[in-house]
Amino acid sequence: MSHLHIPDGVLPPVLWIAGLVLMVVVLFFATRADAHAGPRAVALRSALGAIMLVVMAIPVPITAFDYCMTLAGPVGVLLGAAGALQVSFVVTLILALMGQGGFTVIGLNTLVLGAGAAIARPLYRAMVRVLRPAGAMAAATAISQLFSSVLWIALLWLSVRLSPSILGEHEVAHAMRWLQGGVLVTVLLPLLALAVGLESLLGYGLAGFLERVRPDLLPAAPGGGRRSAEATP
Amino acid sequence: MINTFAQIDYLASAGNTSWHRASAVSKLALVLALVGVAVFSPSWLVLLVTLATALALCGTARMPPVLVAAAASTPVLFAFIFVVAHFKGDLTEALVLGMRPIIAGLSALWLVGTTPYPDLFAPLSRIMPRALGDGLFLTYRAVFALLARVERLWKALLLRGGLSGPPTRRAQLAGEAVGTVVLSGFDRSHRLYQVMLLRGHSGRVCGCRHWLELGPADARVAAVLAWVLGAAFLFAGVRLG
Repeated sequence: MSHLHIPDGVLPPVLWIAGLVLMVVVLFFATRADAHAGPRAVALRSALGAIMLVVMAIPVPITAFDYCMTLAGPVGVLLGAAGALQVSFVVTLILALMGQGGFTVIGLNTLVLGAGAAIARPLYRAMVRVLRPAGAMAAATAISQLFSSVLWIALLWLSVRLSPSILGEHEVAHAMRWLQGGVLVTVLLPLLALAVGLESLLGYGLAGFLERVRPDLLPAAPGGGRRSAEATP
Repeated sequence: MINTFAQIDYLASAGNTSWHRASAVSKLALVLALVGVAVFSPSWLVLLVTLATALALCGTARMPPVLVAAAASTPVLFAFIFVVAHFKGDLTEALVLGMRPIIAGLSALWLVGTTPYPDLFAPLSRIMPRALGDGLFLTYRAVFALLARVERLWKALLLRGGLSGPPTRRAQLAGEAVGTVVLSGFDRSHRLYQVMLLRGHSGRVCGCRHWLELGPADARVAAVLAWVLGAAFLFAGVRLG
């Protein structure tokens, strides 16, 4: 639930236009903050972007639905906010070109995916002082995934509120209440918990592997905490 | 999805229709117009004409029917919830909401299925910062480089019992497998980017087939563009808002 597979033409224009404008502003600052990145950082970003696309292509069957993993949390930990936002944009653009999510929602998708990834590294750095890198990665992934999901739900809610044909209609308001009260608790929340758990376990395995093989790719704890690593690209 | 990536990429490079010969920039302009009409036009007639145009584009570009059906149906599935939410017994409104994503999906398929990725990314990277333009190119390239590796890894996990046992163990092993792919992809991308820099990469991915070189095929693209915009104004006009 950190990527909107919403096609073109269904969201209110005010929402997706605002998303595009905000995305341009965010990317401007992200690329400026990352202006001195060398070839190593560009290569790592591209590799992780490609991994995100490959992982998204692997359907994970959860009940009747296929859940699409994103790896946004681990990518955010490995790249930091600026890099993760750029990767989110590139991945979203390629997905839109492949018909997965519309062109008009590129801005919203980048922001939803990127926001979760952007908070992952600060969370990881805070937690790696007391946890092993694998545990810190899993926790950071879980929180970033939940954050993206909250943004995703907020956007859907906003899109329903901003649609002219829906405002003020009792039937739809009733349906929304039913959704909030019944379906959300009994169906969506358990599915969300399962999805967050899966992503976190994946992050756990990934960080455990990197800690053994390439600890330099994992960010160091602030102040050289007990799980600090050599360097971060 | 990865198979779709590979199939579309092959079609874009190996296709030989007049759409394949047209420049990327004119095709981007046409797709922008198609998506613009799809998103902003409230008229079902305009949308029907635009949908027919998008279908004709895919047909004349010799896109496989399976791909066309997938491009048309996938967005509709995701738009379904919105169609239901908006439905007030007015079939026209449901039809309009249903047609919009189909047009956009077909337009995207036609664009990526007729334009090799260096040509497609060249104009896009012109309007992006260098890091993003390079990232776009390298990421797309890396997907295919990682594809075979991921398939082999998945088979190895299956054969060696990596996909059995409790879910926690499976997910952890999958995470480790992702780790090996991350490192492999990182090394590949790093090497490729260093080679690009050594060979004089200036920060702008060059369109190998001259993305801005206009030819006779672009006249057809321009004619379709004029038809799409003309039909939009002729039949109902485009509502901008």
